[in-house]
Amino acid sequence: MANATMIDPAVLALPIVDAFELEEVHRSVLRPDELMADRAGRPRRLPRFFYEVDSWQTALTTSLTEYFELWEFMGVDVREAQPLRIFPRYVPCAVTLLATHLEVFRQAVNTYVRVAANGGYRSPGHRLNQHASPHCWGSAANIYRIGDEHLDSEEIIQRYSRMLSRLLPGAWIRPYGHGIGMADDHLHIDLGYVLVSPHDAPGDRRT
Amino acid sequence: MAFYDYAHRTGWSYQADRWFHAASTIKIPVLLGVFAAIDRGKLQSYSRVHVRNRFLSAVGGQPFRVDPDRDSNVDVYSALGKTMQIRELARHMIVTSSNLATNVLIDILGLEEIQHTLRELGLHGIELRRGVEDIAAWEAGLNNRVTAAGLMNALRVVLEENRFSSDARREMMDILHSQEFRSGIPAGLPEAARVAHKTGEISTVAHDAGIVHLPDREPYVVVILTEWKPELGGRQSTIARISRAVYEYVTDGERNDD
Repeated sequence: MANATMIDPAVLALPIVDAFELEEVHRSVLRPDELMADRAGRPRRLPRFFYEVDSWQTALTTSLTEYFELWEFMGVDVREAQPLRIFPRYVPCAVTLLATHLEVFRQAVNTYVRVAANGGYRSPGHRLNQHASPHCWGSAANIYRIGDEHLDSEEIIQRYSRMLSRLLPGAWIRPYGHGIGMADDHLHIDLGYVLVSPHDAPGDRRT
Repeated sequence: MAFYDYAHRTGWSYQADRWFHAASTIKIPVLLGVFAAIDRGKLQSYSRVHVRNRFLSAVGGQPFRVDPDRDSNVDVYSALGKTMQIRELARHMIVTSSNLATNVLIDILGLEEIQHTLRELGLHGIELRRGVEDIAAWEAGLNNRVTAAGLMNALRVVLEENRFSSDARREMMDILHSQEFRSGIPAGLPEAARVAHKTGEISTVAHDAGIVHLPDREPYVVVILTEWKPELGGRQSTIARISRAVYEYVTDGERNDD
């Protein structure tokens, strides 16, 4: 385990770690502060500060907002890099901002908003990440279901997409479609390549 | 059809090298691909996979979906958006012939990986070229095909000891024994018979391929592939009658235990 700072449990009872302080097995996959090119070739700097999650039980019991818990952003499958499928696991601190945005949406639709597997945080080592994706920043979500509705048709996806655009003008929503950079079986929302250094995050130890 | 009897180490066949549309019997080679990947350490049977009804066509790469109305399994559909274990998907692929589970497994493994496994196992007479319900590929004439000999040898690989780990063979046999569609080969057999098998049926073909275990006897493998005009019925009863004839042949007409 890396040097960690425990923040006020009343706020969020998770250690914040500087990924530079993690062991090589995790550092090599999380690649803190490294540049990763997005689909357009623009370099993006990967996150450095992460919440350390020691167990699935912790993920299940850690609320980020009234309606969103940490586990909802941690569902990955066998395509995630192997070290990041084993606890302790690491989630970028921007996940709290993502949850806050989704909470606004959740309250507007007044029903469950479900994030798909591989649709919350994915590390740069995840096999689905060929380019820098905001999923690697913990600032993107793929929503596959809202209440009883599966987001599997153009009509449904467009309807919620319009609602999201009104509620969260600063967020980016992947357009409906079948091609590259589009989505046809979920609603992708992201806040961009957000880097978050929480108030109690470790200081910058690098020279 | 093709037949091999482990009791006498003999077999026979009829047009065993004739190619047929595989229908859902193609799920047997996919099962081999899954457990070969597990044996190679590429996957674990408990590995979790995102269940997503979106696949890319083998022709043109356009996305397609499996039609829920053509897939009887609700368990896999209820997991959409979530994950299921490889072993659960493999079971649904065989036991209830879930097309969605099949395509999820093909997607995670890759067609080439499964084809590579089939080559490594020396299995001829099986052509896995696309996922299930890939209409664009079907319209382009790209289909999954099998011969009776090919499927028989695939089942023999499951049964014999030298190709897969004992854990993999045990789990594959357990899955094949759990088959829920039993109106083909099993319907022609006495109650005491246990059959590890996979059926396949579309408008123009009806197949069944299985390993038959009879009490106090070495098993036999039988593959029955049939082709039909779409309007004709009686498919399963025909397969059951052929299965019965094979059973009577291997037991030399002496068994009256049903």
